[in-house]
Amino acid sequence: MSEGDMAVIKPETADGSIQQVEQEVAMFCPMICQENIQKGMGSSKNHAISLPERVNTSMLSLIIDYCRFHQVPGRSNKECKAFDEKYIRMDTKKLCELTSAADSLQLKPLVDLTSRALARIIEGKTPEEIREIFHLPDDLTEEEKLEPLKNSTDDPRIRLLNRLYARKRRELQEREKLKNAELEEERSDDRSVDDLLSFINGEIGDSKGIKTSKNKKKNRRRKDQQKNTCLYEANEIHEESSNLKFACPSDEVNKFRASPSLTLKLQDLNDDSLEDMVDIDDGDIDDEIDPALKEKIDREVEDFARRLNSDWPQRIQEILALGQERRRVPVSINGRDSIRRYASLTVVLSSIYSCYTSNQSVLRYFPAFVLVEDIQSGNGSYKQNIPISANGWNNFDQMLTGF
Amino acid sequence: MGDLLDRDLISNLPQSIIESILTRLPIRDAIRTSCLSTKWRYKWTTLTHLAFDEKCVTLSNDRTLVERTLIDFITRALFLHQGPVHKFQLSTSYLQSCPDIDQWILFLSRNDIKELVLELGEGEWFRVPSCLFYCKKLTRLELFRCELDPPPAFKGFLCLKSLNLHQVLVAPDAIESLISSCPLLESLALSYFDSLALNIRAPNLKYLCLEGEFKDICLENTPLLVAISVAMYMTDDIAEHFEQSSNCNFIKFLGGIPRLERLVGHIYFTKYLSIGNDQGILPITYNHLKIIELYQVSFEDMKEILVVLRLITNSPNLQELQISGSSNTLAAIEASDLDFWEKQCPSDCAFGRLKVVKMTDMSGVPHEMEFIKFLLKKSPVLETMSITPCAYVLDGRLNMLIELVSFKRASPEAEILFIQD
Repeated sequence: MSEGDMAVIKPETADGSIQQVEQEVAMFCPMICQENIQKGMGSSKNHAISLPERVNTSMLSLIIDYCRFHQVPGRSNKECKAFDEKYIRMDTKKLCELTSAADSLQLKPLVDLTSRALARIIEGKTPEEIREIFHLPDDLTEEEKLEPLKNSTDDPRIRLLNRLYARKRRELQEREKLKNAELEEERSDDRSVDDLLSFINGEIGDSKGIKTSKNKKKNRRRKDQQKNTCLYEANEIHEESSNLKFACPSDEVNKFRASPSLTLKLQDLNDDSLEDMVDIDDGDIDDEIDPALKEKIDREVEDFARRLNSDWPQRIQEILALGQERRRVPVSINGRDSIRRYASLTVVLSSIYSCYTSNQSVLRYFPAFVLVEDIQSGNGSYKQNIPISANGWNNFDQMLTGF
Repeated sequence: MGDLLDRDLISNLPQSIIESILTRLPIRDAIRTSCLSTKWRYKWTTLTHLAFDEKCVTLSNDRTLVERTLIDFITRALFLHQGPVHKFQLSTSYLQSCPDIDQWILFLSRNDIKELVLELGEGEWFRVPSCLFYCKKLTRLELFRCELDPPPAFKGFLCLKSLNLHQVLVAPDAIESLISSCPLLESLALSYFDSLALNIRAPNLKYLCLEGEFKDICLENTPLLVAISVAMYMTDDIAEHFEQSSNCNFIKFLGGIPRLERLVGHIYFTKYLSIGNDQGILPITYNHLKIIELYQVSFEDMKEILVVLRLITNSPNLQELQISGSSNTLAAIEASDLDFWEKQCPSDCAFGRLKVVKMTDMSGVPHEMEFIKFLLKKSPVLETMSITPCAYVLDGRLNMLIELVSFKRASPEAEILFIQD
């Protein structure tokens, strides 16, 4: 092949113009080389090599530039790298087309170069950014994307976690208020202690009295107290249940014995305190649950949180112990099954929970398995075995309390 | 203009390109692409190269938490994966021995794994499960800080080409039989083995890299060996063991490798070779040996000098020689045998191709200078002789220079470079 030999190339696109390229440059490209050698094409206008359709004129000129540089022997590594860096600077659309064209011409070094450039573009970006760059349609359903925890999904596990978080947020806010309240009004503090004592000693009347006061300012103070007491009681329940295992010193036993009445108190304290709590919360997704159920749910959430964090054998003991004390809801599933499901659910949930707390984005970007991840019951997915009713909580309740 | 299908730039590229793009991303970003659009949801699941490390998860101070999240991440990724996995790499110090790794290896063994790299933490070393030995298609295996225990029925990795064991606990005969049962083995690297006596039988072996306290190395059947790099750490009892042995290490080690092209010896390598060296005619000529690098050669020990001499006189095509000395100046001042060079060296030997010589850590002891003189006299095509004095020698440098200047050079092109730091 002497210099000055031209190969004739014809790109097969709408603007199918025929181009003439130096022989050596064209030969750098395996596909053209093959056509030339095997079929003798490319020697004249009538026998032009027709290129695959992914190669249009602009791409072809880019590719020829690449070939022209790289087919010269004896280029140092540094030179090649410098050329490549400059060459690859083009907008994303062109880059994708170039990759496609180079692939159809089997020009592997160029395919590697463009793939590396595309990978560099994708790396470290959020999905929204990537979708924008490459004009990708955003056509995954919410469920598939599993946008975490801002939207309440149908998945009861996510709801549970949402409530857990909402509760924690509320508690933190209450504590803030507590601190402020302490600074401002010492009297209210005393009263809260009194209230507490009266609750413990079973004086229902006082709480009701507090509730019915109409004075706004007083009301507000009282609401604060109620919240404080609510909070205090909730914490108490928390503490006392976890103390079940141990030999109870006398005052703790007292507390425990008082718990059924406390339970009732909390349920009574419904409207005012809960509404207030709801008011204070901003953007809380729990709004659609009617307040009557709310307190119960919150307690269950507390329970659940504790269980997430304690050991399984301990829990067994607690469940069995608690089971003898309270039997509120009849069990619809048999004991062994429920515990087995419970165990797996807990495992699943604790893994999600820990996943969530530690690494939100992992949860976010693993849509498939979070939904698919099954409870180890014999029959398949969670949804099949435990039908979730409209408000989603009933059967879940049973599972948690295990009675 | 155009509908959404036209606008989408990238999803319609052929799968091979998508894979090559995703392989170049860190695994976490590659998996994230699953929530870009419906087309991208499972594109990552057919990747054949998977490389995991602690960058996959957010780090925190709580080690157990990171460990747990990392294990979850990898398990889930493997669970979602479809198709064969050809290359799997796990390098993290957060994972030590845990049963999940066993399961991953079991998964890989069922999915045509070809290249496996396991680099784990410093704690309890990972005990490699037996399912690793059933990976029939393994071509490359790299293990760091593991315990290997091949089952008795193990017949070898029939496709294995590259084996790299670094700080791996394995019984000596198990290692030997592992090496000899891999017929296609081309590259072998063993590091940090203690007191190992090794007979290497690998008919296709080309690259060998050894580092550790080796008691005895015999390259019994390695005719195709092309490059060797050895670092021998010697302890006192190993040295004693050598005193009692009667074999010539030189022959045992370098006796059967006619195709050698590059030899690199660190630390006590020349000392090791010098033991049992009998100075007879070497039955082998290294016709292809082009590069020799020897470190820590003590020019006070006549035996070591003899080893070096023997090596270079049997390499007619040697092009590059690099020697670093390790002499104790004070002891060497009263050197004897200075006429050795005229008596012992064959007068007709010439290093016909030697172009580059680098002498580093030179202390200026008499035998070093004699050696340099010898090389200069016998190298007709020498281009560069560079000498770097040892950092501790400050007074003797002038004397060294004076001597150097007086040496005769056989090559008119030779340049002597005295490199000060």
